[in-house]
Amino acid sequence: MSSQPATTNPPLVCWNCHERTVGTHFCSSCGKLLQLPQGVDYFSLLELPRKLWIEMAALEQKFLQLSWKLHPDKFVNAGEEERELSLKRSSELNDAYRTLRDPIARVEYLLALEGARKEGEKKQQAPPELLEEVFELNESLDELREARASAGDLTALKARLESAERNFQEKLGEVDDQLQAVAKEWDAAFDANADSAARKKLMARMNELLNRRSYIRNLVTNVTKELAEV
Amino acid sequence: MNRSMGRIVGIDLGTTNSLVAYVDPQTGRPKCIPGPYGSTLCPSVVSLDPDGKIIVGEPARRRLLIQPERTIYSVKRLMGRGLADVQEELQLFPFRLDPGSASVIRVRLGEKVFTPPEISAFILRELKSWAEAHFGEAVDRAVITVPAYFNDAQRQATKDAGKLAGLEVLRLVNEPTAAALAYGLHEKQRGKVAVYDLGGGTFDISILKLISTREGDIYQVLSTNGDTHLGGDDIDNLLQAFIHEQIRQTDDVDFSPHGELAQELRKALIAIKHELSEEESALLRFPLPNGRLFEHQFTRGAFEALILPIVERTMRPVKQALADAQLKPSDMDEAVLVGGATRTPMIRRTVREFFGRAPHTELNPDEVVALGAAVQANILDRGVQDMLLLDVTPLSLGIETYGGAVAKVIPRNSTIPASAQELYTTGVDNQTGIDIHVVQGERELARDCRSLARFTLRVPPAPAGLPRIEVKFLIDANGILQVAAKDVRTGEAHSIEVQPSYGISDAEIERMLEESIEYAEKDFAERQLIEARTEAESILNATAKALNSSQANAISAEERGKIDASVAALREASAGSDYKLIRRRIDELNRATLHLAEVVMNGAISTALEGRNVAEV
Repeated sequence: MSSQPATTNPPLVCWNCHERTVGTHFCSSCGKLLQLPQGVDYFSLLELPRKLWIEMAALEQKFLQLSWKLHPDKFVNAGEEERELSLKRSSELNDAYRTLRDPIARVEYLLALEGARKEGEKKQQAPPELLEEVFELNESLDELREARASAGDLTALKARLESAERNFQEKLGEVDDQLQAVAKEWDAAFDANADSAARKKLMARMNELLNRRSYIRNLVTNVTKELAEV
Repeated sequence: MNRSMGRIVGIDLGTTNSLVAYVDPQTGRPKCIPGPYGSTLCPSVVSLDPDGKIIVGEPARRRLLIQPERTIYSVKRLMGRGLADVQEELQLFPFRLDPGSASVIRVRLGEKVFTPPEISAFILRELKSWAEAHFGEAVDRAVITVPAYFNDAQRQATKDAGKLAGLEVLRLVNEPTAAALAYGLHEKQRGKVAVYDLGGGTFDISILKLISTREGDIYQVLSTNGDTHLGGDDIDNLLQAFIHEQIRQTDDVDFSPHGELAQELRKALIAIKHELSEEESALLRFPLPNGRLFEHQFTRGAFEALILPIVERTMRPVKQALADAQLKPSDMDEAVLVGGATRTPMIRRTVREFFGRAPHTELNPDEVVALGAAVQANILDRGVQDMLLLDVTPLSLGIETYGGAVAKVIPRNSTIPASAQELYTTGVDNQTGIDIHVVQGERELARDCRSLARFTLRVPPAPAGLPRIEVKFLIDANGILQVAAKDVRTGEAHSIEVQPSYGISDAEIERMLEESIEYAEKDFAERQLIEARTEAESILNATAKALNSSQANAISAEERGKIDASVAALREASAGSDYKLIRRRIDELNRATLHLAEVVMNGAISTALEGRNVAEV
């Protein structure tokens, strides 16, 4: 995959020399560290197109290369403005790397960036086709808690919950596969310069899959926790 | 643009021992600086003399036996902690806490009360003086190491201690990372390295990746884990509890943890522990107050059975750190042992078996952390361009949400500096404040995590949902949290007052700084006293010599009487501790002996001229 050039930044006035500058990191005129220019997102900071498949080795290399430039260690003897800026700039770089390195966080970030996902908007309703299984699971969990309180026999319940745990783990795997398939479609649409309606449709599907994933993951976490206490 | 003129050092502020090191500009190699007793280890022990003087290091350690109620060791265990956190420590360590220790612990030494950062500052000040004596120059900046698993409050307390000691703390570096830096410089290691660091009171495991890039070497920490309540001290405690029980069965002896007897026994047991690292067995002989000699033969096997739970406790964080880095033990290229407790053969064996390779032990495990701190200090001071450390935050940062749950905003093992933005708004009309509670830890409920800070965002009355305030949480390169807020609609900074849950307030730090200057003055006064006494000694000797010389016969009886009186007055002043008085008496004696000196001098000249002719002169 060839990485596309970062979006061209609007001209900026340097805080230090007050000259107009076009640098992403350092003033083209006086060489001082700059604020991250408006409109530079995590993808463009790491010089990546807004696609969901990322070559990890290239991402890491870019991250390390920018770390050399932005890390606070490089500015210990600089003035206070530059020291503050390096703290801000290197934390942004680390946040970007952390987000893009993780496939799920990457999708969430892309959707937020495209305005297709608002923060905190995770639907906690059970997906309709899972309703019956979730109902059964909750019943088993209640029974387990009761049985534990009255020191009853847990063997059968435990086995039932373990099988439910496996079942939902599998479903989680399925969601991840589906998400990956849609991500591929997104990348293809990106390369083909698809219209916004087609993109919106893909984003809506990813959004729904993310919500479903988050719901199932919570279920698995809960069951694992309850089982750990047995 | 250098903001400071003094020298910079690396300091390992340890639970049991502390060290100071620097990079030798000639060789480019880090070196530890020895103290007045020749050792590079400064025992992390502080004692308050009855005359108000602070004693640190080896002499303070001796006082553990004779003045245990005025002396404290292992104070690192109390750094950044509240009373509720240290209940376990209080069972095992002779800490005398002052009432009113809820959010900041206050320790009693004799008639005075100190916070843990103040006591740590005494240790730092001592190390600073070692370095200043070594360089013959002032030291005003330092890199100080902390356990990787230290939380925000423990890090802040360490930084406060540096400030109180008159040091600008350029960076807090995690101990295992510092050790990796020292080893990396030592033999240019590459690949994935596990650093197992069992110190006096804390355990850390860090997984690093050493990467060569075109620009230079990067030390990237992938994950870290640990236990800040686990160390060599715990081995000593186990041995002590075991022997107490043995003695209790045969003799009726009181081992109150504060007593001198307990300290004597602890010292003897530490020697046994060290002996068992070399020998298969060791004999403890301990005289009891009832006159009987208690004897116990330890075998290495019995010792290992006793400490097995401690060794096992270290392996849980090791496994977690590997899992977090998504690695298996066999993926590691190297393992490194750090900390005095890793001299224990059982620990070496356990680490070797787990990673399937012999761990590195070439560098002195007591010194390696200080050496690494010196390397990082040199990088920061000289702007060394070909090395870079990328460390992580050991604990997740979270915000308490409805129902006491925690929303994680910065996950553990995030590369630092790291940040997160959260948007807040009001839930009801004309709400004027939004309460925010920041916690650190991995548990799901806020009450099970470590409370870091609370603050209230003040908002002007407005319809619900209209105010929009963005709060930025930033963990800096020291692993310390900074919080800032911004009104999204106006873009203006929003002032907040963050009240740390544990730790010392800024006002209190200021007061302590003033007091620490008082201690600095005390140090100064002491030096003055020593110098004045030395000078008095030499003038008293010179006077006695002059009075005994043949020329002294030319001095009148009256004059001689005056000189004798001045000599007596100076002797008396010199026995006291007022250096100004000694100086005054020296001046008086100088004046009284002016004529005597002249006579002796003239006599000496005429003696020298005797038998010589003019031409020779």
